[in-house]
Amino acid sequence: MREFFKSTRFKVILAFLAFLVGIMIYSVTKGGYSLSGASFINTITKPFRAVSNSISMKFEKNADRIANADSYYEENKLLKQQIGELNKKLAEYDDLKEEVEELRKLVVIKEEHPDNIFSQPADVLGYVANDPFKGFTIDRGYEDGIKPYCPVITPEGVVGITVEVSQYTSTVRTILSPDLSIAVICSSTGTDFGIVEGSVITAENGATKLTHLDKDHGIKAGDLMITSGTSGLFPKDYPIGTVTVTGIEANGLTAYAEIEPSADISRLSSVFVITDFDGKLEDTDETEDTP
Amino acid sequence: MRLKTPREKRILYFKTTVRWLLYLLIIFFSFVIMTSGSWKKPVLLVPVALCIAVNTDIMISALTGAACGFLIDIACGRLFGYNAVILTIFCVASTLIFELYLRKKFFSFMAISAAVSFLQCWLDYKFFYEIWDYPDVERIFRSVTLKVWIYTLISSVVIYFIFKLINRLLMPKEHLTIEEAIRSSG
Repeated sequence: MREFFKSTRFKVILAFLAFLVGIMIYSVTKGGYSLSGASFINTITKPFRAVSNSISMKFEKNADRIANADSYYEENKLLKQQIGELNKKLAEYDDLKEEVEELRKLVVIKEEHPDNIFSQPADVLGYVANDPFKGFTIDRGYEDGIKPYCPVITPEGVVGITVEVSQYTSTVRTILSPDLSIAVICSSTGTDFGIVEGSVITAENGATKLTHLDKDHGIKAGDLMITSGTSGLFPKDYPIGTVTVTGIEANGLTAYAEIEPSADISRLSSVFVITDFDGKLEDTDETEDTP
Repeated sequence: MRLKTPREKRILYFKTTVRWLLYLLIIFFSFVIMTSGSWKKPVLLVPVALCIAVNTDIMISALTGAACGFLIDIACGRLFGYNAVILTIFCVASTLIFELYLRKKFFSFMAISAAVSFLQCWLDYKFFYEIWDYPDVERIFRSVTLKVWIYTLISSVVIYFIFKLINRLLMPKEHLTIEEAIRSSG
């Protein structure tokens, strides 16, 4: 041993250790930055370490999977169950949100027309197949207080009237149909009356027609037509649509206007039915609005 | 016709049940398609009823026609029973025509389907639009009735081949083939 301490090898080792300590002290003085040598080594070895690390991680993962397969299986099962419950809650939440939005719209309409009684929001079940006037079926019937010839509206305006009511469904005739006539008044002038009645040509463009208009009317494009409420079939002050074009009828005696409905009748998803209102006629056969 | 063994009878019942279940499924899906969306659609239940009618006896053909007709009435918002009456008549007539005059071939079926669906569409136009004398009512004939008839005719091709496949797999054979006759006599 004494010979070793006296030997050159020992001195070399000491010198090397001193060198290392020196490097260590130097690196402390670099304030967190690597020494150039360390950086060089890091740069050179980086891709190899990356590959090696990924292999190692994969191996560890596989080993972990094999070792903890049962616990993962249980955990997976639990998570799937939780996801299922959350999805269910999410679907319920979406339904509730939709319902709340519908009810909010209903509240607005109710505030504007406090004397009217509305049904619950009715979903559109489907359109009548190949009907050029876009008749549709809703999921509310006489169980919900709906009768034939009840006005059907959306927050945007009137869309039609119920014509065939069964226990849980009703068929709606729209304002595009020539079989439905509604007495209307121009909201801006307040004096121009007319009858909104669908026609074959206007229905092709999703529009309806205002007829029996005085030749000297003051209606212009963009004017809003609203229900006059004189017939007893529709309550007053509900928007029907806006005027797009005006003209004189072929007979030269009266004028007409093309009306773009306030509600997009070909894209309805839910509507409201007005089951009762002030001034409603019970016997609708004698009214001018009788479909 | 030779006598059937109990096993053959069981297979026959099973095949018939499955065949009718498939028929009902096709009727159901045709109805669902007809009631979906707001675009113009073929009256699928007309070729479906005809396909069933030409392969069954006259009573079942009448019942099928009535059932499909009621469904068309619901889907098209027509007077309940109107299409049932029309389709029952057409189905019975088609069964008779195929029994007496025509062979069950593709072109025969297409000719009958074209005639029946055109009559159904034309009568629909007559009774539900033209009779009420709406102004410009002929536009409905051009823009709706004819289009629906053409769509129905096109859909008849698909429906014919679906039924042909079902019948080939599941329809009991009415007559023995030559090979079967030789085998059974031997």
